[in-house]
Amino acid sequence: MPPIDCEDQELLDGFLTETTELLEKLDDDLIVLEKSSDDTDLMNRIFRSIHTIKGASSFLGFDLLVKVAHKTEDVLNRLRKGELSVTPEIMDVILEATDLIKLLVSDIKAGDIQERETEGTINKLLPFLLDTAGVPKAPPATPQQPAQPAAVNVDAASAPTADASPAPAAAETAPGSATVPPDVPPQVPVPKPASDAAPKKAPAPPKPAEGKGDDLADNSTVRVDVKRLDDLMNQVGELVLERNRMIQINQDLQQSDANRGDFNEEFGKLTKRMSFVTSELQMQVLKMRMIPVEKVFKKFPRIVRSMSRDLGKEVDLQIVGEETELDRSVVDEIGDPLIHLIRNAMDHGLETPEERLEAGKSRSGTLVLAAVHEGNQIIISIKDDGRGIDTERVGRKAIEKGLISEDQFAAMSQREVFDLLFLPGFSTKEKTTDLSGRGVGMDVVKTNIKKLNGLIEIKSTKGLGSEFILRLPLTLAIIQSLLVEVEGEIYSIPLSSVLETLRVDQRQFHIIGGQEVLKLRDIVLPLIRLQKVFNVQPRGDADNFFCYVVVVGAAEKRMGLVVSRLVGQQEVAIKSLGNYLANIPGIAGSTILGDGRVALIIDPVAMTETE
Amino acid sequence: MQNALVPVKTDGAHDELIQLVSFNLDQEEYGVDVLKVREIIRMPVVTRVPNTPHYVEGVINLRGKVVPIICMRKKFGLTESENDKQTRIMVMDMDGELMGFIVDAVSEVIRISGSEIQPSPAMVAGGIDQECIAGVINQAERLLVLLNLEKMFSRDEKNLFTGM
Repeated sequence: MPPIDCEDQELLDGFLTETTELLEKLDDDLIVLEKSSDDTDLMNRIFRSIHTIKGASSFLGFDLLVKVAHKTEDVLNRLRKGELSVTPEIMDVILEATDLIKLLVSDIKAGDIQERETEGTINKLLPFLLDTAGVPKAPPATPQQPAQPAAVNVDAASAPTADASPAPAAAETAPGSATVPPDVPPQVPVPKPASDAAPKKAPAPPKPAEGKGDDLADNSTVRVDVKRLDDLMNQVGELVLERNRMIQINQDLQQSDANRGDFNEEFGKLTKRMSFVTSELQMQVLKMRMIPVEKVFKKFPRIVRSMSRDLGKEVDLQIVGEETELDRSVVDEIGDPLIHLIRNAMDHGLETPEERLEAGKSRSGTLVLAAVHEGNQIIISIKDDGRGIDTERVGRKAIEKGLISEDQFAAMSQREVFDLLFLPGFSTKEKTTDLSGRGVGMDVVKTNIKKLNGLIEIKSTKGLGSEFILRLPLTLAIIQSLLVEVEGEIYSIPLSSVLETLRVDQRQFHIIGGQEVLKLRDIVLPLIRLQKVFNVQPRGDADNFFCYVVVVGAAEKRMGLVVSRLVGQQEVAIKSLGNYLANIPGIAGSTILGDGRVALIIDPVAMTETE
Repeated sequence: MQNALVPVKTDGAHDELIQLVSFNLDQEEYGVDVLKVREIIRMPVVTRVPNTPHYVEGVINLRGKVVPIICMRKKFGLTESENDKQTRIMVMDMDGELMGFIVDAVSEVIRISGSEIQPSPAMVAGGIDQECIAGVINQAERLLVLLNLEKMFSRDEKNLFTGM
């Protein structure tokens, strides 16, 4: 392969951006295609994507890429013309080829072109190019023709057209090169019918593609809708106006032009407007950091497909609410946990078609991946209608591995049994496979969700399926918090972790093994006295038996923080404590209260661990 | 311009003029490089931070920035005293991070030439860590201890801060 020519750096950058975008879309489209193989538009779009990639890479001289893309294109072309029909086998090969293309592109991106083994994949493509390969399922394929006037000459001369595709995004190129076996019907020059517009319409931010091509897109830059930027500018303009107004009011007061009543009224109005503008501003900046969760969701159809093929299970993946937006920092973190949860659902949750029929269910299982906003949180749930979690089996395994004792298990509620799933090294699988069995997955889920101050809930009914619910904060920069007082000191607890607050008589506390606990409905809640953990000087009134308990949760754990008083709820901006005070146990950061004082933010995650 | 007349050598010149902020701590006078001092403020409300070394007084809000506050008396093992009208916080730049130090009083900015700085005699001033004493300035009417606050926290202490 020729080294990348630096003079063409700009061209190359353009090529990479375009190709990356096309490839991302391609994955999606291919999966959809498998389900709706008679969608002409879709088929054409896929064909065009590959075609553009091929054209551009041949222009820049990436021979390997051209070769793979070309063969893929040939196969797609036959599909498009109805000479082949869409089968899982063909799709497997095409997806493999797409992966290979991604790999090659990422090589180019890294500036490190290697001689990759492409023959294997190409050889898999070749059989589909033979005339005998696929007998077209005649009728469904034909109606496409009108939409595509150019694709008529199926039996045209077999002489390969000379490679005439120098322009990257050129409208018509005549694909085909000397390497095409003579028995392949050559591609007919296809005028691209208003083509490129379609895939580009969706302003897709750079997204990491699945698998090997993962590093195709980077995350260091943000694309912001110009409209949002305009809105922001508007708000800043408003803010400037309000500032001027404030200066004016101040001057008036200095010169005592205004009487006190006027001033009060004016200032009151100003305060209202200011608070309105700032909260608008805050929302808008927040929105700029937001990206649709689709960025993560979009790679799942592909994963589910390949898993269902591997496992011999039939799965219908439904994605709901992929347009739900959340902060980039959160999006970057939830990918891994979701993959693990999906794998689990596929591997442990869903049954094989036979088992399903036996259990009186439909042949193919359903996996619903849903995202929805709820207040300041986003809720992502992964729900399957598989066999559900067998608490008995989970318990047995845990005893077997020495994680709990026989007696402990007997005393466990269903909830507590579910919590066992999160223990590192826990797996109900007898055998470690590619997919699962090492007992790492749920631990990863737990760690990542904790990092995000999120919560995990498990709902499961044996025989009917399970649902994993993740509750995550929308952003990590500004949070809703509950202000509490501990013997005169104010602390702030992220509201996303707060489940409920109770006013209780301290005489209701019990002590189990030196640990104070509170019986709360059906659970026994371990208690932490913030006054003790933070070494706060107790203040007088010891005979006051009433105190407040804030029930917090971190990932799957729950516990109660004992405080003297609840102060209220406030939206606070998180400020770091700086390097010197970075890792104080139990403290996640600080914030500045309305009166200018600093309040420390409690880290519920660390709290649950110090227990 | 006295400044202009002094020959400036770039390589650790002894004759270079240095400006120091002098402050008092338990009847002794200390000095720190003026370039390291960001600002000098009166005592605001300090929020206690739990589970930190005793000399960490807490954090304050410095115009939207949260700055840790160190009590110099406690750090140097001197007797504690009540804060009064003279008490100040010197906000210093410590390797790019702001940190405030509580001192009894800040007196003035003085200008000395590098040659006036003498190495500190061994066994100086009871509790003060030798590490952060950069030298002693012995003038006719005063004795000034020059501090290098960036060396105030030993590696262990920094770990203590972050690793506790």
